[in-house]
Amino acid sequence: MNIILIMIPLSLLILIGAVTAFFWAVNHDQFEDLNSPGLLPIADATDEEKRREGETHPPVR
Amino acid sequence: MNVDCHHCGARIAHPALSARLDGHRVPVCSSACQDTVHWIDKQGLGDFYRLRQAPSRRPEPEDGHNAEVWTDPRLSRHVLRRRSAKSSEVALLVDGIRCGGCVWLIERTLSALPGVESVNVNAMTRRVRVMFQPARTTLSDLLGALSSAGYQPRPLDSGSLDDARRDESRQLLKRLMVAGFCMMQAMMFALVLYLGPDNEIQGPTLDLFRWLGFLVASPVVLYSARPFFQGAWRAWRGRHLNMDVPIALAVSIIYSASFVQCLTRAGEVYFDSVTMLVFFLLTGRYLEMRARHRALDHTDALARLTPSWAERLDDENRTHRVPLSELRAGDRLRVRDGGSIPADGLLLDAHARVDESLLSGESSPVDKVAGDPVIAGSVVQGQPMTFRVTHCGEETFLANLANLATRAQTSRPRLARAGEKTTSRFVLRVLALTSVTALVWSVLDPSRLLDACLAVLVVSCPCAFALAVPAAITRGLSVLARRGVLVLRPDALEALTDIDHAVFDKTGTLTEPTLSIVEHDLSLDRDTVFLWAASLSAITQHPLASAFAAACGQHALPVEHARNLPGLGVTGQVDGRRLSLGRADFATGGKEGDDDLVLAEAGRVLGRFRIRERLRQGAADTVRSLAAKGVTSEIVSGDSRDRVRIVANRLGISEWRSRCLPDEKLERISELRQAGHSVLAVGDGSNDAPVLAGADVSIALASGSDLAQAQADIVLCSGHLGGINETRNLAFATSRVLAQNQRWALAYNLCAMPMAAMGWVPPWLAAIGMSASSLVVVLNALRIDHDKMETGHIEHVADGAHP
Repeated sequence: MNIILIMIPLSLLILIGAVTAFFWAVNHDQFEDLNSPGLLPIADATDEEKRREGETHPPVR
Repeated sequence: MNVDCHHCGARIAHPALSARLDGHRVPVCSSACQDTVHWIDKQGLGDFYRLRQAPSRRPEPEDGHNAEVWTDPRLSRHVLRRRSAKSSEVALLVDGIRCGGCVWLIERTLSALPGVESVNVNAMTRRVRVMFQPARTTLSDLLGALSSAGYQPRPLDSGSLDDARRDESRQLLKRLMVAGFCMMQAMMFALVLYLGPDNEIQGPTLDLFRWLGFLVASPVVLYSARPFFQGAWRAWRGRHLNMDVPIALAVSIIYSASFVQCLTRAGEVYFDSVTMLVFFLLTGRYLEMRARHRALDHTDALARLTPSWAERLDDENRTHRVPLSELRAGDRLRVRDGGSIPADGLLLDAHARVDESLLSGESSPVDKVAGDPVIAGSVVQGQPMTFRVTHCGEETFLANLANLATRAQTSRPRLARAGEKTTSRFVLRVLALTSVTALVWSVLDPSRLLDACLAVLVVSCPCAFALAVPAAITRGLSVLARRGVLVLRPDALEALTDIDHAVFDKTGTLTEPTLSIVEHDLSLDRDTVFLWAASLSAITQHPLASAFAAACGQHALPVEHARNLPGLGVTGQVDGRRLSLGRADFATGGKEGDDDLVLAEAGRVLGRFRIRERLRQGAADTVRSLAAKGVTSEIVSGDSRDRVRIVANRLGISEWRSRCLPDEKLERISELRQAGHSVLAVGDGSNDAPVLAGADVSIALASGSDLAQAQADIVLCSGHLGGINETRNLAFATSRVLAQNQRWALAYNLCAMPMAAMGWVPPWLAAIGMSASSLVVVLNALRIDHDKMETGHIEHVADGAHP
C-alpha cells in the first residue's frame, strides 16, 4: 500500500502539468481555428510532389 | 463552346481572355480575374488552384481603391493596436474566403511581405489577424496584397482585437478543462472510499482519501464554478430565479457538507459528485456559448465595419475620397448604393431609402425625404444618396457601435430563452421539493436528512434541461455550416419547420441569366456598346449585372450621376454620355417594348440585349420535393409575363406573378402572412433585401450582394438550391431531437426525483444518474446527421460542377 504515497503525488503532479499545458495552449490561440491550420502543411507536400513530377515530365512551355 | 473561368468559375460564353498559370494558359472571364491569376502565378502560389475546394470570388476592380487611404496615420490609428515598440496588430474582415485553399493563399501572401510577424486566418468568421511592423510594411501594403490576390479586405476597428467573445470562450474553456481534469482525479479517489469498508481500507487511509478529494474538488468549486455563483448572486440581487440558483445552492451545500464530514471523520463525502456536476453543467454552458457566438460573428462584423473613407463633394459636385478624420460638420457627402453612411447628417436629396437595422433593430428600410436626419452606420439602399454632415467622429452614433456589438452578444436564440423559462419553473419546483424533503426527514429521521436533500438536488439538477436545447442547436448549426449553409439567425431553423409557402425570386435565384447582343447602333462599335452597358449595370448588385460583366470581359468604366431604380433600370453618365439601361419602356421613355434590355441615350436605342435563361442547378428538384412535403411554391418576379410563365411551367409552379416592384413583392408576402401562411422567401441581390426581411424565414444564395446576405436568415454558400431542402430536413431533424431531449429530461426527472426524496437513492447513484441523463441528451444531439439524410451532400455536387 505504500506505493500510493508515490502514486498519488505523481498523479497530482500530472494533473497540474496537464492543466498548465492546457492553459498555455488556450492562451496561444491553439483552439481558435481547428480547421484551416490542418491544410497549411498540405501545400508543402504538393510543392514536393510538383518538383518530383517536374523531374519526370518537364512542364510544356 | 462553353468553358468556366479558371479563377471565379463563371461560365464564359465567348472565351477571349486567358491567363498564364504554371506555364499553361487557362481561360478567364474578365481582366480582373486575369490580373489575379497572373499575380498569384508570379508569387509562385499557383498551387492555390489545386488546394481550393470551391471557385473563388470574382475580384472587383474597386477592391484595392481605398488601400492608400490607410497610409494616413490619423485614420490607421483607429484600426492598429500597438503590441510592442516595433510591431502592431490589425484585424481585417476579408470577403471571399471560401475554403481552406483561401486560408493557405492569404497566409502565404501576407507572410511573404517584409516585416509581417504572424498571420492568423479564421475561415469561419472571415477574420484575419496580422501582427506586423508598420515601419517595414504599411497597412496599405497588406490591403494591396490581399486585393491583388482577389480578396476584398476591410480593416475592423481596433476594438475587435480584444474581442470580448474570444475572452469569454477562453475563460469558459479553461474552467471546463480544470473541472474535467479534476473530475477524473476526484472519481478515482472516491472509488477508494466506495470500496473502502469492504476491502479492509480503513482509518487514516480513508481520511487521506477524503482530504485528497477535498484537494481536487476545491479548484473546481472555487474556480470552475464561479460563473454559477456569480449568476446566482446577480439573480439574488435582481430578485428573480435562474438556473444558477439551485446549482450554486447544490454545489455549495455538497461542498461544505462534505468538508464538515471530512473534519468530523464521519459520513459520506461527495467531492466526486460536485466535480461531475460542475463539469457537465459547464459543458452545457460551453456548447450554448458556441452556438451564440457563431450566430453573432456575422452581425458583429457588420457593426464593426466603420466605413474608412468618405466621398466628399466639392463646389463643382466632383467627388473626392477623404479619410473620415478629415470630415467637418457642413461637408456634403455622397454614399453609394449599399454603402454605409459615415457621419450623422441631414438628407439633401429629395428622397432616399436607408436601412437602419443595425442601429434601431428595425428590419425594414426607412424612407427619408429631404431634410430628414440620417444616422452614421446605417446602410443606403436603392440609389446613391447625398447629405450634409452635422456630427462626425466621436460625436456620432458610430462611436457607440462598440456598445452595440456588446449588446448584440447578450441576445440569445429564442429557443434557448424558452428553454430557460422551462428551467426556471423547474428550478422553483426542485427547491420546493428539497425543502419538503428536508422537512419530512427532519421529523422522521434527521440523520438521513442531508443524504436525501443532496440526492434530490443532485439527481434533479437541471443539466439535462440546460443541455437539451443548446446541444441540439449547436449540432444542427455546425452540420449545416460544414455543408456551406450559414444560419445567421438560429431561430430561423425552428421557423423553417413551420413553412408552408415558399416565394422565389426568379432571375438569379431559380434561373441564371446569360446575355447576348441582338442589335446595336451601327455608328458604334459592338464592344463599346457592351462596355457601356456593363459599366452602367455594375453600379447595381442585380444578377444581370454579373451576366453583363461576364459577357463583356473588360474593366468597367467609371459612372457619374449613377441612379438605380430597383425593378426598372439604371441611369448614369458614361464616357460623357447620359445613358439609361433597362426595359424598353424605361430606357426609351414611355414606349412599351418587348422583353429585351435596352441601352439608350436620350430615347435613342444604342443597343438591344437578349436575355437567355437556364434553370439553376437543382431548381426543379427543390420545387418538386417542397411540393411533396406540402409547401406551395410561388414565383414573384420583376420580370416580364412571358418569361416568368415559361419558367413557372418548366418547374410546375402554378402560382406566379410578374412585373412586381420590390414594394409589390413585399406586399404579396405580407398578404400571404396575413392569410395565415408561414412564408419562406428565397432570393438574391439587393433588390430582394426588403423582400427577404419581410418573410418569416429568408434564404439568400451567396452569389448575392453583401447587403442581401445581411438581411437573410440563412445563406447558401454553395449557390445550389438543393440546400433549401437539405436545410429544411435538418431543421426537422433538429427540432425532433430537441423535443426528444426535452421529453427525456422530463421523464428522467419525474422518475428519479420521488425516489431521491424517499431516500432510496444514495448521492453517488444520483450523480451517476444525473451524468447519464446529460450524456443521453448530448449523444442524442450527435445523432443529427448521423442518420441517413434524405439528400446527399450538396457540396460534392457543387464541386463537381467546377472541376
